Amino acid sequence: MFEDRRIGLALAMPAAVFAAALFLAPVIILLSEGFRGAEGWTLAPYIDFFSSDRNRVVFLRTLKLATLVAGVSAIIGYATAFAIVSLPPASRGRMFALVTLPLMISPVARTYAWLVILGRTGFVNQILVGSGLMDTPLRLLFTETAVFIGLLQLFLPLMIISLISAMENMPRDAVPAARVLGANWVQVFFKVILPLTREGLVVGGTLVFTGSMTAYITPAILGGSKVLMLETLLYQRVTVANDFASAAVIAMILIVMAFSANIVLKRMATARARR
Amino acid sequence: MTLARTLATASALAIAAGAAQAEDTLTISVYSFAQDEFQEIVYDPFMEICDCKIVVETGNSVERLAKIEANKENPVIDMAVLSTHDALSAARKGLLAPIDTAALSNYDKLYDIAKDPLGDHLGVGYTFYATSIVYRSDKVTIDSWADLLSPELAGNVALPDITTNQGAPALLMIGEALGDADYALSTPTNAVAEQADDIVTFYVRSSQVAQLMQQEEIWAAPIGRFAWASFKDNGLPMAWATPKEGQTGGMNVMVMTANNGNEALATRFMDFWLSTEVQTNLAEALVDSPANAEVVVSDDIADNLTYGAETVAQLKLLPPDVILDSRETWLDQWNATVMK
Repeated sequence: MFEDRRIGLALAMPAAVFAAALFLAPVIILLSEGFRGAEGWTLAPYIDFFSSDRNRVVFLRTLKLATLVAGVSAIIGYATAFAIVSLPPASRGRMFALVTLPLMISPVARTYAWLVILGRTGFVNQILVGSGLMDTPLRLLFTETAVFIGLLQLFLPLMIISLISAMENMPRDAVPAARVLGANWVQVFFKVILPLTREGLVVGGTLVFTGSMTAYITPAILGGSKVLMLETLLYQRVTVANDFASAAVIAMILIVMAFSANIVLKRMATARARR
Repeated sequence: MTLARTLATASALAIAAGAAQAEDTLTISVYSFAQDEFQEIVYDPFMEICDCKIVVETGNSVERLAKIEANKENPVIDMAVLSTHDALSAARKGLLAPIDTAALSNYDKLYDIAKDPLGDHLGVGYTFYATSIVYRSDKVTIDSWADLLSPELAGNVALPDITTNQGAPALLMIGEALGDADYALSTPTNAVAEQADDIVTFYVRSSQVAQLMQQEEIWAAPIGRFAWASFKDNGLPMAWATPKEGQTGGMNVMVMTANNGNEALATRFMDFWLSTEVQTNLAEALVDSPANAEVVVSDDIADNLTYGAETVAQLKLLPPDVILDSRETWLDQWNATVMK
């Protein structure tokens, strides 16, 4: 674009310096804490971390919930996105606005709403007990189910938006053509829609997975200390124990998990495309 | 040339002003709660009589301790208020200096347990709190700490997390009710672990308990007396248990940072805070229960506090050195059983 490459470089410098000095350097310093022992560099903090039963439980729970939330939001997301894309343009705009609306409400407010809805005297239990389905109210708060529901509601819009934009880029007549040629809806989905929207799925999946994994407010309020996830554990290590070494270990695990999720999803998408 | 001279003059002035300010500035490190009341009852009146400036730093104990430790060579904080065990931890790291109690005119008015809880006059108690069980009097009756684990309360109890200041004292009392008051806390920890599914949550803030009680998620929870005011008027039938094993609790102390160079002013401030007038005002504002035995408050106020020689004498407090030496073990034990 520029005749002299130096102009481009000069223009990029302020942002690059800013990112390097205020983001990259602190992150590297923080993460290196996790490899530093009394006698130089070591892997001991990582071994210690994973040798604790509680930490392994927290790690596996985080992995499980983030995967579940990403999976379920992909299923709901495809159905919703397909329905929205099939609408006439005017109503499509309205539905799109409805999907993005929750993103404009603070996660704290949304999570507190779940506290009321899922409570013992809350909406769900009033219906269950009122209709005679249950004798006593269910305990929903401070369970993995509550955290799952909260995270799903929080991140589902990101999946739907990614899939809508992927489907809008799909050739208009691909689905009708497949139908005319005799494919049933299952075949249409797996052979036409999925391959053509895989990039949207990778983007949406990465956003939802990393979002669920690193969310703090939702697991803190809906899960509490009985349903610790990596992010709430990290906070506890820093504020309660002033234990920055463990916190750095957890931060590193979260970063590795986020990158791995992205790589795995991309692999799955390309593997499918080659077939 | 003119510019350079102006700059030089300006910086000289700034240095002089800084130096002058440093002489009359007292930097204190306190809990972030009730700061409006402290400003009105303690800081503003003291600033009027000392002709000095008070800089207030707030935060949780871990953050505040970390800051004092980080500035060990060149202390920023002159005096701090901490729990007895956090104060002891600071003392062991050599961050504290003894308080010149002879210079405290109000020292003799303090309850005996507040006079030297850390030894060597490294801290002076300024407030305590009882910890007992707050419960729904229309649903249950509680007269023992063991009732927290009773079948009637299964699924209706919140307990303090082991990492909170109420955690270990509550376990100690549950242990006593179960016949094992050992500081190892293994009997009560195992008992809680066995019934972990029946505990609604392990709370980390007392405000969380008030909310759970209000939403009828729970019927009972151990809390510090300082939080009682947020329960008694919540529109539900609430009671404060007086379990047969007694009540536990905690004490907070004032400490002097080592080599801060501002000892005289800090001591004067501590003395002011411990005075009968200030302690009475803090009690009447329901901020802190008095450590000054001369404080007299109405029954109505006393009902919200941990007040009176008798109450104070009966508190079963965990010794600060026990808390400090055992908390890692307690946490490991808790993580290996309850959190599993």
